[in-house]
Amino acid sequence: MRVAAAIFWKDLLIEWRSRDRIVAMLLFSLLTVMVFHFSLPGGATAQTQAMAPGLLWIAYVFSALFGLGRSFSLELENDALSGLALAPTDRGWILLGKVAANLVILGVAQAVTALVFALVFDLSLLPVAPALAGIVVLGSLGLCTVGTFFSAIAVQTRFREVMLPLLLLPVLWPLLSAAVRATTALLAGEPVPSEAIQLLIVSDATYLIVSFLSFDFILDD
Amino acid sequence: MLRWSGAVLALMLVASGWLVIQSPLDAMQGVIQKILYVHVPCAFASYAGFFVTALGSGLYLWKREDRYDRLALAGAEVGVVFCTLTLLSGPIWAKGTWGQWWVWDPRLTVTLLLWFLYLAYLLLRSFTEGSERTARFAAVYGLMGATAIPLNYYAIELFGGAAMHPDNLERGSLGQGMGLPFLMSVLTGLVAVWYLVVARLDLENLRVQSAARLGGYPRT
Amino acid sequence: MSRAHIEARGLFKRFGHVEALAGLDLTLDAGECLALLGPNGAGKSTLLRIVAGLARPSEGSLSIDGDAAHERTARRRIGYIGHASLLYPELSARENLIFAGRLYDLADPPGRADELLSEEGLSEVSQRLVSGFSRGMAQRVAIARGLVHDPDVLLLDEPFTGLDRRAARRLESRLDALRRSGHTLILVTHDLASAARLAQHVVVLSEGRTVYESRGPLEPDSLERTYVDALEDAP
Repeated sequence: MRVAAAIFWKDLLIEWRSRDRIVAMLLFSLLTVMVFHFSLPGGATAQTQAMAPGLLWIAYVFSALFGLGRSFSLELENDALSGLALAPTDRGWILLGKVAANLVILGVAQAVTALVFALVFDLSLLPVAPALAGIVVLGSLGLCTVGTFFSAIAVQTRFREVMLPLLLLPVLWPLLSAAVRATTALLAGEPVPSEAIQLLIVSDATYLIVSFLSFDFILDD
Repeated sequence: MLRWSGAVLALMLVASGWLVIQSPLDAMQGVIQKILYVHVPCAFASYAGFFVTALGSGLYLWKREDRYDRLALAGAEVGVVFCTLTLLSGPIWAKGTWGQWWVWDPRLTVTLLLWFLYLAYLLLRSFTEGSERTARFAAVYGLMGATAIPLNYYAIELFGGAAMHPDNLERGSLGQGMGLPFLMSVLTGLVAVWYLVVARLDLENLRVQSAARLGGYPRT
Repeated sequence: MSRAHIEARGLFKRFGHVEALAGLDLTLDAGECLALLGPNGAGKSTLLRIVAGLARPSEGSLSIDGDAAHERTARRRIGYIGHASLLYPELSARENLIFAGRLYDLADPPGRADELLSEEGLSEVSQRLVSGFSRGMAQRVAIARGLVHDPDVLLLDEPFTGLDRRAARRLESRLDALRRSGHTLILVTHDLASAARLAQHVVVLSEGRTVYESRGPLEPDSLERTYVDALEDAP
């Protein structure tokens, strides 16, 4: 729907002008990679390589938490959120527009993080890049959908920075564990378990539908 | 209602207690197995609590009546207590039988996640300002959480794997003479949920009424 | 053209145990300008938000020509200009208006944006970011935003606040022109002089209830006296 597209471009334009989210997310990802590198003994060994997929997703989730919080806090200035709520459309489209924008912004950060990971842990990602991208997109779709949705809630409570991870992580566990499993298999050169992909698709679809239908309740006052 | 269910609960507790004491000792596990008569009902009760919360949340969003929100809150507060008891009683049994306090097997992980869901729900309620907004947000989160639980189970199904937790929902996995005590204690657990939810609702209604009389915001 | 007919029946809005609106009834004909007056906390902004579809009543109904206020058909006909500007500081005036135009699914958002900006005399600064605007200029963009979809009904929440005399007079003549061209206006304001000049229907709210209502042309001085009396008499 066109409202979603309008919001998508608007969010990207704002991000392009200020670049605050992407910079913060990239910095955070890089710091996380550094911490992992120092806390794991011996650098790029077979052991650490086995842990890489899990660590990669931890880095992704943390930087997502950073960026998703800002998704709605930028709407609080000048009560722009009311401006969105006034639009004569199903309010779920507002959410979808923002989810799409967050996916793009997160995607950029994720790509750079993956590169750095590959360097630090001596992984060869290039041969599996398309498949990896596919898994990351599937996982991030669910992550951004629920994350954006809860960000809209969190931004209207006290302690919003704390609230978002608190609300998000218990709900995301199945999705994240499926993503990590799929990534692990992929990087180990094994066939990706179809159950993992199934779970990702089912989770994504479920969360998209439920969030779309419930978003009205978040904007209602 | 409260007194009636309290009486029923008291009776059932006595009955269960007697049955549990009478029940045979497990051949392999010994007396530690008896803690399962507490652990399993608590597990059922924690899920029942979440069901109540999900029900209250759904009804609230549909009808927008405060009493459904109170039901959801009562379900969450009762459920989190039983969930905590489940997580405490399980490891006691586990240490006695497997030799470990905890394993990361799917069922345990899901119970832990349920516990986190409960906590997130309750924290969301205390950090949101305005009782109508609190009710609305909590109801939405309650439904989201309710969606997450079947997905969690789907995940368990798919990732079968290292399931150390016994699947005692199958018939025949219980020893002789244990069926009745188990059934009785599970039923007692469910009645306990009922009783506590009703009690909590009464308490909440009282609090809301007295806050109204004093003319202030009731802090949920 | 405007056929707006706004009707509120038994409107209650509760926040916990605070009743922002306690049983409000109101009828507005098409093309009327209503001045909604009252002390802070009387419920004026709450009422406006309910009409705009931004909030739902706890009890009662509010309809715009039969459509409930929160429905899409009603929202399409309403322009809301609130306390805050609803603008994105990181975007230019023009970009803000184009975005608003897209939210209302207009056929030609950039064209409409340019049109509104020239009406407000802001064409030269259209490409400047809103973060660099003065309060008066931002207010003018906010009003343009409220009008982007040519709504039948315009809701204004204290639009004169923070404007200098010249800007306030500009705004008043803008609103007068809108009223004359058949738009329905609800104006919440503390500026009784402007209210008297613009409105023919006055409602004074106090503690969520109507304590005074009148229809017909008004004198600025008598409005002031009426307002003060109405609040003194209120229970």
